[in-house]
Parts: sequence; C-alpha cells; structure tokens
Amino acid sequence: MLEIDNVLYEYHDSELYDFSMSVEKGQIVAILGQSGSGKSTLLDLTAGFILGKSGRIMIDGLDMSALSVEERPLTILFQHHNLFEHLSVEKNILLGISKTITSSAQEIDKVKNILKEVGLEGYEKKPASSLSGGQQQRVALARALIRKKPILLLDEPFTGLDKTTHKEMLALVRKITNKKGLHTMMVTHEEDDCAVADKVYRVENHRLVLS
Amino acid sequence: MLFRLIALPGVWISFGLLLFAFILFSILFFSRDASSIAQIDSHIWGLLRFTLFQAFLSTLLSIMIGGLLAWSLAHQSRFFGRKTLVAIFSSSLVLPTLVVVFGLISIYGRNGWINTLTSHLFDYSFGTYLYGLFGILLAHVYLNASFASRSLLHAFESIPREKYKLAKSLNFSTFERFLYVEFPAIKGTLFSISATIFLLCFTSFAIVLVLGGNPSYNTLEVAIYEAVKLDFDISMALKLALIQLSISTVFVLLSSNFRTNLNNLKTAHSLIPWREKSRVRILQITVIMIFAFFFISPLVAIMIDGLGADFGKIFSDGLFIKSFWTSIALATVSSILTLFIALALSDTRRNFTLKHRLGERKISKFLNLIVAFSGNLYLAIPSLILGLGFFLLSQRAGGSMFIWSTSALLTANVLMSLPFALSVLTPAMQKTATRYDKLVFSLGMSKVQRWVYCEFPYLASSMGYVFALSFCFSLGDLGIIALFGSQDFSTLPWYLYSLMGSYRTSDAAGVALILLAITLAAFLLLPRLFGRDNVRDR
Repeated sequence: MLEIDNVLYEYHDSELYDFSMSVEKGQIVAILGQSGSGKSTLLDLTAGFILGKSGRIMIDGLDMSALSVEERPLTILFQHHNLFEHLSVEKNILLGISKTITSSAQEIDKVKNILKEVGLEGYEKKPASSLSGGQQQRVALARALIRKKPILLLDEPFTGLDKTTHKEMLALVRKITNKKGLHTMMVTHEEDDCAVADKVYRVENHRLVLS
Repeated sequence: MLFRLIALPGVWISFGLLLFAFILFSILFFSRDASSIAQIDSHIWGLLRFTLFQAFLSTLLSIMIGGLLAWSLAHQSRFFGRKTLVAIFSSSLVLPTLVVVFGLISIYGRNGWINTLTSHLFDYSFGTYLYGLFGILLAHVYLNASFASRSLLHAFESIPREKYKLAKSLNFSTFERFLYVEFPAIKGTLFSISATIFLLCFTSFAIVLVLGGNPSYNTLEVAIYEAVKLDFDISMALKLALIQLSISTVFVLLSSNFRTNLNNLKTAHSLIPWREKSRVRILQITVIMIFAFFFISPLVAIMIDGLGADFGKIFSDGLFIKSFWTSIALATVSSILTLFIALALSDTRRNFTLKHRLGERKISKFLNLIVAFSGNLYLAIPSLILGLGFFLLSQRAGGSMFIWSTSALLTANVLMSLPFALSVLTPAMQKTATRYDKLVFSLGMSKVQRWVYCEFPYLASSMGYVFALSFCFSLGDLGIIALFGSQDFSTLPWYLYSLMGSYRTSDAAGVALILLAITLAAFLLLPRLFGRDNVRDR
C-alpha cells in the first residue's frame, strides 16, 4: 500500500499544505481539484521533486520520504513533454531501463513486447515527433510500464486528447493497473476521469478530502 | 545542501572570476604609482565628461535610428530582400570594429567616396570632417543601431496579433498604435538594449583611437592606452583605470539584470495585420533603404578597395602570416573556453532558479546574482584595464612576455564574449530544464544520457552560435592587443592598425577584406559544426 501520512509542505512561507491519503495495490486513486489547488504539489511531493516539512510517504511499510526522485519506486506520466521528440519510439522507451548509450538485444526485445501491450506494435523506429498526441502518451505509458515500478503517477496526462482517445487511454490505465498490480495516483481536474478510479480525493483548503 | 553547492562547477568558475577581479583591483589600487588617485584635475574631468557625453549621444542616436528601423522592418514584412537585409544587419555584432572603421573612412574620409564624388560634381570637398565627435558617433551608430534594430524587431514581432486587431477596430492612428500597443511592448527591450549600448560605447576603444582625431576627443579608455603606451605614465593610467572601473561597475550594478537579448536573433518574421497608409509606408521604405545604404556601402567599399590590393605581397609578409595564425589560434582557444564556462555558469544559474533544484533555498537568489555578475565582469572591467593589470603583474612577476600576452588576450577575449554567450545559453538551458528536468530525474537518466539525448540536441544551435560569436569577437578585437602588440606578438587587427598607421592604405584594404571574409565565413560556417536544427523548438 502507498501511504501519504500527514505530509506538510509550506509554499512561500504562506500556504501550508497537509496531505494524508492511501492507495491500495491494483487501485486507481483520483485527485480532483481546480488549477492551483495543490494537486500537482501533492504529486511533486510523492515523486520527490520537492520535500515536505514533516510526515512520511511509505510503500508497503517502507519510508521513502528521504529518497531522491531517482531512488523512489515510481514512474510518472506528465501532461506535456513526456518524450524526446527527436528520438525514436524505441530509444524513448529504452531510456526508462538502460543507463548507457547503447542497448542490449534483450532490452530491445522488451521494448517490442511492451509496445504490443499498449497497441503500438511496429512503431519502434518511428520518430516520436511523427506520432499523434494519443500515440505519444501510449509510448510514455509503455516506458512507464517497462520500468516495473509499483507506483504510477499520472499528472493530467490525457488532457488535450480527443474524447475517444481520452477514454481509450483511461481504460488502458485501468487494465494495466489491474494486470500489473500498480498503485496508481491520477491528478485531474475533470470529474469524468474519476469513473475509472476506485477512490476519489478532492483538494480543499490545502487538504485532501475523500469524496 | 552545502555539498550540492560545492559540486556545481559554475560556483567555482564564478568564484575564480571574482577572485581574479579582486586581484586585478588590488594590483591597480595598491600599486605604488597610485598614490595620487584622489587628485582629479581638469584634464581628467574633461576626459570623463567627453566619455560620458559621447556614450550618451551614441546610445540616444543608436536607439532612435535602430528603433525607427525596427519599426519600419516590422511593418514592411513583404519588403523585397527583407530577410537578407535583416541577416546583414545582424552581422554588425561580429564585424571587426577596425574593419568597420576602415570602411567608414573609405566612404566618409578625406579621400573617401563622398569627397571624391562632390569634388567631381561640384569641385568641392568636405575635407576631414570624419575625425572627431562626428566620426565616433557615426561608427557607434553604424554598429549599435543595427544591433538595436535586431532586438527591437523581435520585440515588435512578439506583439500578439490580437492587439493590432483591437487597435485597428478602435480606429487608432499610427501614432496611437505606437503609443498604446507598440511602446508598452518594446520598452523592456528598449531599456536593456540602451544599457548595453551605453556600456559598450562608454568603454569603446578602437573607434575612438582611430576616429577621435585629437586629444580633445579622447575617452578614458584611449587615455589609458596613451598613458601606458605613449607617455609611459603608469601613475596616470592607474588613476584613469580606477575612475573608469568605478563608473563602469556602478553602471553594471545598476543594470544588474543585464540582457543583450541575443537569444532573440533568430526571429520568425510574421505578418502584422495592419495595412499601412501610403505615406507611412513610403516613410518606412525610405528608412529601410537609407539605413541599408548606410550599412552596406562601407562593406562594399572594403570589398572594392580590398580587391585592388596586392595579395601576393600581403601573403609573403611574415608578420601577416604570424598575425593570422596567432589570431586563429587565440580565437579557437577563446571560443572553446567561453563555451565551456558559459555552459557551466548557465547550468549553475538554472540550479539556483528552478524550484525543484535549489531554487527554493533562500540563498539561491543571492548566489544567482553573484554568478550573473561574475559572467558580466567584462562590462565592469574593460579590456584596457584588464591589460593594464596584466602588464603590471608581468612587471612584478617577470617571466616570458609571450605567456603574459597570450594569457591577457585569452582572458580578455573570454570575458568579452561571456555576457553575450550567457545571454544566449542561459535562457536556452533554463528552457530545457523547465521542460525535461522532471522527466529526466524520474527516469534516473545518467549524466551522459542526459547530455546526449536531452541537452545537446536542444542546445546545439545555441552552442554553435555562441562558439561562432566568441570566435568572431576574439578575431576582430583591437583592445588589449594594443598594449601587448609588437613585432613578435601580433594579431590581424593589430597588424591592420599598424598598416593604417603607416599609411600603407592598399595593403590595409587587402587585410581588412581578409579579416572581413574570415569573420563572416566563421560566423556563417562555425555553427554548422554543431549541427543545425537537431530539434525543432515547439
């Protein structure tokens, strides 16, 4: 279970956020709120981009609050700039698992398989810039999956996609969360997105309120 | 936290630059010759007054003419050859000052085209009107108005189309449009460009040296040179250097948010949804054509005069060959150093500004200012003062003069290019980090991966531009070499200056053409070494 336990964060010495919530294995938890309400701050805290004043962030009982972004067992899908557009689909995904410039045949095989899972078989060599918005997010999702991290953070990743693609992507996230047993946290400002969630929290007055 | 700070190479470089400035200042201030620093006589007041006066007038004229040109170009986006003209005007930044001066003399000098033409047509010559305040202003306007126009053009083109549409719907006149739509949008750029131009003119050396004419048109910078090189009056040089150093430091601190707006050089021209009245259109076209003639004619004169030179004689001169290779070697090393230092300082600055790096720490804002200031040191310490410091140091420490001269030139060239390099690289690196930091950190990419896949593809064109810019600055500089130049140690600008001084006009024309050709070729070709448009900016 992913637990956020009384994490306090002070922004510019004026706004104090106090977050507490939990996500079970195989669950999708939606975080709903207006722009500027602090949804992304919660995600940044969970990911380790910013550090809280106090409180703990734990996965299966292990405290990861002191770990750096790279060390935390999670992977993230952002709203924009998930891919390096000048690189191929394959290279973009390989960056999730390979720490060197060259990659092994095994790693390349893994990329092929994961692309199949997200419905982009045969797209390995295509430049990321030639893909549609929906396809780009699928590639980013494929990279998130290939890393085999237990926590998946989604920062409004499907905003801007057309309705059909948006729905397809949400369904894909649902399917993958179940299949891989992920702890998925999805930040969104669209109520409709909550349909795929098991639990919905709203950010109100700098706190999370269970809906 | 402390470890993360110490681990930033830019912090060390910045510390090194400031330490260097401190040592230089100490050498000047505690020199035994500086005992009479407090006494400022009427001669020095005169120098100071003229230096400030010519810098103020040059800035005012450059901004007015550059602004008018930018406004005309912005509204005449369909003007035939506009793109080429804008590219030519952009080259003013890298044109060697001495070559520009040579071109201006060819047109406006005693035996220049204008006097030749009026002598033929009206049997009248204007004589030597070029030397003095007029010549200084002319050369400063030539170089700086085109530079200002380039940045201001971008500011005009960045005005949202909707604002023009709104102004049109409200039936604004051309003047009202400028007052309510355009001026508010360009005034930020106007201020930063004015500050830059003022500092450049305040410390201008080669132009005043050649076109100043007589001592009443001397600036502090030239007076320092004359005190060291001609009068051997180190005490006077020190006094002048400290005055200049104090004033330029105050100016740099006042304009601490120094921006040259060079990142704006690559602008996309866009159509302003406004059809100009015919008399306004005629005015704009006239402005463009007059400035184009003013700008291009000296370049054409250099080409025509240069082609008539005896290149066989020039190439067989050992000093030319030596000067050529010294210039190329110095420019290459300077540009490599500039690029590395600018990358390190820019990276450090983004660490201090981005929230998810060290931006949230209270000390970061202060450290960011320190790093920014250290990168703009050249504006506070002009090359002649730097040269004087090295000169005094060489006198005390002894050792090979060649090593001292080379070190002085490299240091001056790097410091001269840094403010411009930083103004290109800092925003570019900031943008890359803002866009990709979270992704890169979350993927745990290694430093090499980050550089190969994320930084370099997005920075390649900026790096190429900085490299070329720095190379050209170094190639064309006649500053510190004026103090260290000799038969044994010479660069192309120094060689050209020597030829002009000994009235070998034909040879000088040939060398000016060679210097112009190398500079333009370097400016156009060097960026290609870094690859072009690896990534299209979206």
